[in-house]
Amino acid sequence: MLTQLLNLLENKESGLSLSEISRELNAQPSAIMSMIEMLVQKGRLIEIGPDGKHCTSCGLESDCNLLKAHGKRYVVAPRVLA
Amino acid sequence: MTNTPRTLFRLDYGGKIEREIARIIASFEENKFDIQHYPQRWLAIKLLESDADILERVQAMPNGAQVITLAQQGAEKIKSMLGDEVDMLTADHRYGYINGVVRQALHRPHIDRITLTDRVDDIVTHKWFGLPFFFAIMYVMFRLVIDVSAPFLDWTDAVINGPIAHLFSYLLNLVLAPAWIHSLIIDGIVAGVGGVLVFVPGLLILYFFLALLEDSGYMSRAAFVMDRFMRVVGLHGKSFIPMILGFGCAVPAIYATRTIASRRDRILTALLVPLMSCSARLPVYVVFGLAFFGTHAGTVIWAMYALGILIAMLSGMVFTRTLLKPDASSAFVLELPPYRQPSLKSVLIHMWENTREFVRKAGTVIFAASVIMWLLLNLPWGVSNQRDSYFGIVSSAISPVFAPLGFDSWETGGALVTGFIAKEIVVSTMSLIYIGGEEAAPVEPTTFSEDLIGIGQGFVEATINSGRILLNIIPGVNLVDEEKEAENTALSNALREHFTPLSAVSMLVFVLLYVPCVATLGAIKHEFGTSWAVTSAVYQTAVAWVVAFVVYQGGKLLGFG
Repeated sequence: MLTQLLNLLENKESGLSLSEISRELNAQPSAIMSMIEMLVQKGRLIEIGPDGKHCTSCGLESDCNLLKAHGKRYVVAPRVLA
Repeated sequence: MTNTPRTLFRLDYGGKIEREIARIIASFEENKFDIQHYPQRWLAIKLLESDADILERVQAMPNGAQVITLAQQGAEKIKSMLGDEVDMLTADHRYGYINGVVRQALHRPHIDRITLTDRVDDIVTHKWFGLPFFFAIMYVMFRLVIDVSAPFLDWTDAVINGPIAHLFSYLLNLVLAPAWIHSLIIDGIVAGVGGVLVFVPGLLILYFFLALLEDSGYMSRAAFVMDRFMRVVGLHGKSFIPMILGFGCAVPAIYATRTIASRRDRILTALLVPLMSCSARLPVYVVFGLAFFGTHAGTVIWAMYALGILIAMLSGMVFTRTLLKPDASSAFVLELPPYRQPSLKSVLIHMWENTREFVRKAGTVIFAASVIMWLLLNLPWGVSNQRDSYFGIVSSAISPVFAPLGFDSWETGGALVTGFIAKEIVVSTMSLIYIGGEEAAPVEPTTFSEDLIGIGQGFVEATINSGRILLNIIPGVNLVDEEKEAENTALSNALREHFTPLSAVSMLVFVLLYVPCVATLGAIKHEFGTSWAVTSAVYQTAVAWVVAFVVYQGGKLLGFG
């Protein structure tokens, strides 16, 4: 499943949201969330803003209202792509 | 019966990983490594995964270092063969297994991914239907507020002017109070404060519906729907939120503009907020609505609220092109919460807190204003005609200004001036002038217990009548007489002698738009300075006069006069 998830995100430059990933993998969002958390923790995935750009301009990160309103998106970390 | 040995579940991680696990388990014995209480397979997997906590513990155990070295060699071997770290590979196997079990064991019914909130939002925030829906909601709300509260308004009016006035009269007679004290309390305080308190049931119902709209999540949708129109006036939907608050009271709405980043947007919003009809104006609408338009009172009142929004939009366009040119537009991000079932407790708290403020104002500002008004209506002392009183003289001097608007009586001019203190005072002043000065019709003396029974019976009747009116909104149900005549309260009768339906509409338009109350102007001054408070007062009064003039003179030209 983790491999499937990473493969799914590999070609998505603007990433996918949790609901999009769970729809693509046909699995419950709660199940996918734990996988995403693990992959983010391992540095394999990166949370990005809804506009597809990495949130580097402020330190709000998970407290960001914009992210909350539009939902986090995930992309594969660059080192894995390389 | 035989005991079958329990087989422990074992997840197969695949040949390469399983081989390394087996090698590590074998090394435990070879190195005489005591695994203590740890299950040997679990410990081998954790060592292969390089679990930091386990590595630290094993390192501290006798011969642990050799086992760790072997495990690290195994992990490197797996990584080189399978291209990933062991913990990722094992986790992948686990999630894969879980997913397989779930797929086989759990049958999920097809879940529509479009939620109910999405479906409702498709309609209420629709590009074309959203706005009519918003106005329809407002219309239904005000129809219900007026129609359902009408029997309770009559009941409260009857209680205040009946048993309560009788009780005060009885107590004053008991202490042999002089005639002027009697007049001050009955004609001044009871008529003035009571004239405003009569509308408490209507406000309770208004705040009930506003709380329902807020708690259900619809108010955010209203702001979203209005965003398109707010852009026409150089603002965005965020400015509509303080304007919606303005339906309750303009003062907190002015302070709510602090959430808007641009100072220009804040000022413009604060200038438009007082044009949204606040709840203090509702008593004026209800009195005139029920006196002149009977069952159509709700429609007239709704029209006042809609007119307030329309004039606010037009005013925004005027300000945007003159005093407040737009600056760089900022993005409007509004989170639409999912629809929720409002909790009864929250709705009741909302109703109580807002109505309490109204009652508190009746007990302080309106009480004081009633006493002052009574004094001005009775000075110089012993004046026989109220028109010759100080209040009457000043009001008579002002009243010609209102002649082109259809209401040039000194009573109306005076009432409008007092509305500058608080809009409810327009009604209390009218009650004071029109009812306070009247000789009360002789009534049969009643006992205290008869009054109590009468109050209780009146309440039950009002509840039944309200229930019938409420049920009447169901198509096919007809429990009330649609041809019901206009209300016949003492103030309504007095108003019908001084106004026509057209001049009543003109009066309502003027009350809707003219100078904000002193508290609102104070809030604008506090937030933006004296010049903007003066601008608001002058602009609104001028607009009120012009629009009321157009309504009255236009109505006359069309033959409504």
